[in-house]
Amino acid sequence: MTRFLAKRIGQALVVVALVTVIVFLLLHTVPGGPARGILGPQATAAAIAAFNHEHGFDRSLPEQYWMYVSGLLHGDLGASYTLNQSVSSLIEQRIPKTLVLTGLSTLVALLVAIPLGVWQGRRRKGLTDYFITTLVFIGYATPVFFLALILVIVFAEKIPILPVQAPQAETLAGLFADSRGLVLPILAGAIASVAVFSRYMRSAVLDNLAEDYVRTARAKGASERRVVWLHIMRNSLTPIVAMLGYQLPVLFSGALVIESVFNYPGMGLLFWNAAQTSDYPILLGAVLVIAVATVIGSLIADILQAFIDPRVRGAIK
Amino acid sequence: MTASVPSPVVAAQPAPVVGPYRRMVRLFFANRLAVTGLVLLALLLLFCFVGPLVHPTDQIHTQLADANLAPGVKGHPLGTDDVGRDVLGRLMVGGQTSLEIGIAAGLLATLIGTVWGAVAGYTGGWLDAIMMRVVDAGIAIPALFLLLVSATIFRPTVTTQILIIGCVSWLVPARLVRAEALSLRSRDFVQAMMAMGGSHRRAVFRHIIPNAIGTVVVNATFQVADAILLVAYVSFLGLGVAPPATDWGAMLSNGISYTYDGYWWLIFPAGIAIILVVSAFNCIGDGLRDSFEVRLQGR
Amino acid sequence: MTESPALAIKDLRVTFGDTVRAVDGVSVEVRPGEIVAVVGESGSGKSVTSMSTLGLLPPTAEVSGVIQVGGVDVTALDGAGLRAIRGAEVAMVFQEPMTALNPAFTVGWQVAEALRLHFADMSKKRAYERAAELLEMVGIQDAKRRLGQFPHELSGGLRQRVMIAMAIACEPKVLIADEATTALDVTVQAEILDLLRDLRAELGMAILVITHNMGVVADIADRVVVMYQGKVVEQATVEDLFARPQAEYTRRLLTSVPRLERGAHRARARTALREPGQAAAGTPALALSDLVVEFRGERGSKVRAVDEVSLTIGAGEVVGLVGESGSGKSTVGRTAIGLIKPASGSVRLLGESLTGAKGRDLRRLRRRCSIVFQDPASSLDPRMTVGDCIAEPLIINKIGDRDDRVAALLKSVRLDPSVRARYPHELSGGQRQRIGIARAIALDPELVIADEPTSALDVSVQATVLDLFLELQDRLGFACLFITHDLAVVGLVADRVAVMNSGRLVEEGPREEVLFDPREDYTRRLVASAPVPDPAAQRERRAQRLSL
Repeated sequence: MTRFLAKRIGQALVVVALVTVIVFLLLHTVPGGPARGILGPQATAAAIAAFNHEHGFDRSLPEQYWMYVSGLLHGDLGASYTLNQSVSSLIEQRIPKTLVLTGLSTLVALLVAIPLGVWQGRRRKGLTDYFITTLVFIGYATPVFFLALILVIVFAEKIPILPVQAPQAETLAGLFADSRGLVLPILAGAIASVAVFSRYMRSAVLDNLAEDYVRTARAKGASERRVVWLHIMRNSLTPIVAMLGYQLPVLFSGALVIESVFNYPGMGLLFWNAAQTSDYPILLGAVLVIAVATVIGSLIADILQAFIDPRVRGAIK
Repeated sequence: MTASVPSPVVAAQPAPVVGPYRRMVRLFFANRLAVTGLVLLALLLLFCFVGPLVHPTDQIHTQLADANLAPGVKGHPLGTDDVGRDVLGRLMVGGQTSLEIGIAAGLLATLIGTVWGAVAGYTGGWLDAIMMRVVDAGIAIPALFLLLVSATIFRPTVTTQILIIGCVSWLVPARLVRAEALSLRSRDFVQAMMAMGGSHRRAVFRHIIPNAIGTVVVNATFQVADAILLVAYVSFLGLGVAPPATDWGAMLSNGISYTYDGYWWLIFPAGIAIILVVSAFNCIGDGLRDSFEVRLQGR
Repeated sequence: MTESPALAIKDLRVTFGDTVRAVDGVSVEVRPGEIVAVVGESGSGKSVTSMSTLGLLPPTAEVSGVIQVGGVDVTALDGAGLRAIRGAEVAMVFQEPMTALNPAFTVGWQVAEALRLHFADMSKKRAYERAAELLEMVGIQDAKRRLGQFPHELSGGLRQRVMIAMAIACEPKVLIADEATTALDVTVQAEILDLLRDLRAELGMAILVITHNMGVVADIADRVVVMYQGKVVEQATVEDLFARPQAEYTRRLLTSVPRLERGAHRARARTALREPGQAAAGTPALALSDLVVEFRGERGSKVRAVDEVSLTIGAGEVVGLVGESGSGKSTVGRTAIGLIKPASGSVRLLGESLTGAKGRDLRRLRRRCSIVFQDPASSLDPRMTVGDCIAEPLIINKIGDRDDRVAALLKSVRLDPSVRARYPHELSGGQRQRIGIARAIALDPELVIADEPTSALDVSVQATVLDLFLELQDRLGFACLFITHDLAVVGLVADRVAVMNSGRLVEEGPREEVLFDPREDYTRRLVASAPVPDPAAQRERRAQRLSL
């Protein structure tokens, strides 16, 4: 187990290092180079030259990369030139809120999608079945923002029972205090994920239905319900956990859109506002933090898989 | 001798010789979902590219006097937008952008991903390890974030959008093809060929790629669908192709300010168009996957 | 015996879809304490018959006829009624113990489940205690500890014992063993058959054994039902069936089965082979010395798959390499032709070193050897026509005149030249293996590695493919390393026999010596475990084996 952990964490570190390289290179493709990216579009040529010299941007690329990385290691992500605040403190404020949003909507989505997927996998041709299958198919093709707009039109305009605006509180506690405002953003995220998750669950169940152990369970006298909800479910969870690991970047992209529609004060909104004003320190800092979060997330998914599936556990013991 | 599955095996002797590819085409056309998708896609292509000839509109100049007209008024079947442009015509023009970028970017991503994955999977060893860590790193950065950053760096045009989306979304096909190449490499027919003294080139081009083509083609359709969605997201967030060019995502983004005015024609046509085109590609992909899988079961 | 049957199948008919009649009017009876074997080749409908007794066929199957278990007609039961029978009255053991057990639950949980499904008032604790007793009953030592293990932590033989423990948990009247020993090694197979025999004596169950293996039939059955294309062609006691087969099909089947007997060796027409030992005089076709092959294990440690194996094959000689699964025999074959790089030791092909050869030298050497694989379905590229598959070695080595040569090769494996335009999936297993052979002899090789070439085939097909292979070997005179787990096949084809066990070469010598007068204990056990298709002889061998 320690060997597996060491190997997997080593891989994750390599990936994080590669991500820093990508972000570093992005910084250098900003028109006018990092100086303009950091000082903002209004900076004068003299200021840029002074800045470049002061920060060592006139040195060789490897040297600059080393400086950049050692800055990162000290938690230094630079400072926003539109918000006059350090990027790390901005992100620190915002990221818990984004995690709450994605976490809750993923949870809701799983609670709906797992039974739905199992049911689809065991489908019997019928009107309800076609109806739900079509619905899932359409859900899969619907852009999140369109979905969010429909929710707004239905629940905030036609039947005005929920607020359009997400809570604007500074703290997490404040966020939950105004929980009605959380409903629509979470719902939008959840519906978008249900379509994807239930498709995965459906194919996992279909794969498992063809397995020999299902026949054994039936031959023992187990009921169909027991076969599906106990024997098959248990074996379908491993691919679902693996899928969650893969889906993390998609979930974060979804959060970006949802936050911008509902004005939810998370990383996504911060990022979107920064994109409108070309605030590069925020943009690149956020990319880095989100990428690291994704790497950590898929690491956790891998370890979790090992705990659920005795075969995986056996292979890495 | 497998006695596990009670399979009704018949020694079928079809008179005409049916190759695996032709069989797939047949199965594909026998699949109702796939044909529905294909017909839908054909209709959408006709609508976007031939439609403007049937229903010519002025999408360059604004007609502020005719702003926000309801559908059916003054010969505008779907009304007009906030600067008086015909929505139906705009839907066609916007669709051209969405489809062009989506299809080209999806294909570009498939091409890059296939080559990358095939090389990594067939070569194996440390090269494979390095190439796959690069893929991991790319996947760790959510595509939409990367696209928005790129959009602030490069002025978004159709060409840059194609290149950027293509370069962002090749990672998934790379993973899939690599897994396929890895398993095909150890299959007996490749081993037999190596034992005869065949070259690596022959292994890759005569055996591995033809056998992985199923995965590649199926994934390409999903890739196009995803690319169309990505284009829409970027435009919706206000960083898509610069005006006067437009696409469905930008149209929706434009309509969002009028949600409370009840101008539904500024929101729903574009949204539904996106759903239709993405569904069409997904249907085709599912149909293709079914026809490829039946081939595998038939062996 | 006038006792009423525990299981009575009367005029069973099963159809899939509109046309395919998988079982056509089958009647079988099994009395308490009796072991009946249903034997047949693939497509004979024997497994469909066994599945239908528990209503386990897919919904597309249409079943008619009567299946009585203790007087109750199973076909008339609804879901709940069927479930009450399954496991409690009739239990089944399947072919693949690896996949038949649920990988996500412990062995103890699964055996306990079988109990608790039918004894609703049994406590969890009691069920686990009983599960431990059952595991002991099927000969699993240290049963208490085994309860907490997962299926992947057990060997194939242990897993099959767990399956049997699960099957007898509710003391069913009927036990159906559907190819229950097919996936196991011969030594393990012999133990499982012993166990079934003991359980019959202890519990008085009726046992229905579904198998394709005539040796297993001879070993265990009291009565035999022979099936062919969905119909019963013959029913008889085991002695009668083997001594006086009535049906034409049974007779053909029995002659197809290779027998492990002295003198049951092919007649070599052309090459009067040199005396053993003399083969080394000329240039050997293949010489392995101190070969070591290592694979990276799960924990990064190295696992020795082949451990210091030395073996020589003379020109034109056929050497049989036998061993159980995991013995390293296939790895030796693949290393011999350069598909796997050895960690140490050397491979000399036709007098030249393969281990050091590179580029053109390597290709030139490989041109003179070839390989035939076990699974003809995966050794032919599904995207290529049969003609292209056979022509591939010609193309690689830039040999012209391909059309004529492909036609000639097809003819020499007794296939019509018109099949060249077909695709592998359109052909039967036997036909595909012939194509594999045609491809292997395309360049007129001096050495052929045959890796279990007939193991995936039905006996009657195996017989014709073996015949063909031997005829070609005789005519073309290539040397051959024939890898197999089947001692009877080795006895038929090999001049000399080498035995492998966990990576090491245990014994090597002339055919008669190794197979009938082995020096090593392992070989003796291996030979004694292989069942022969003759009830009287098999009884003797069994007694002999148990005294070993």
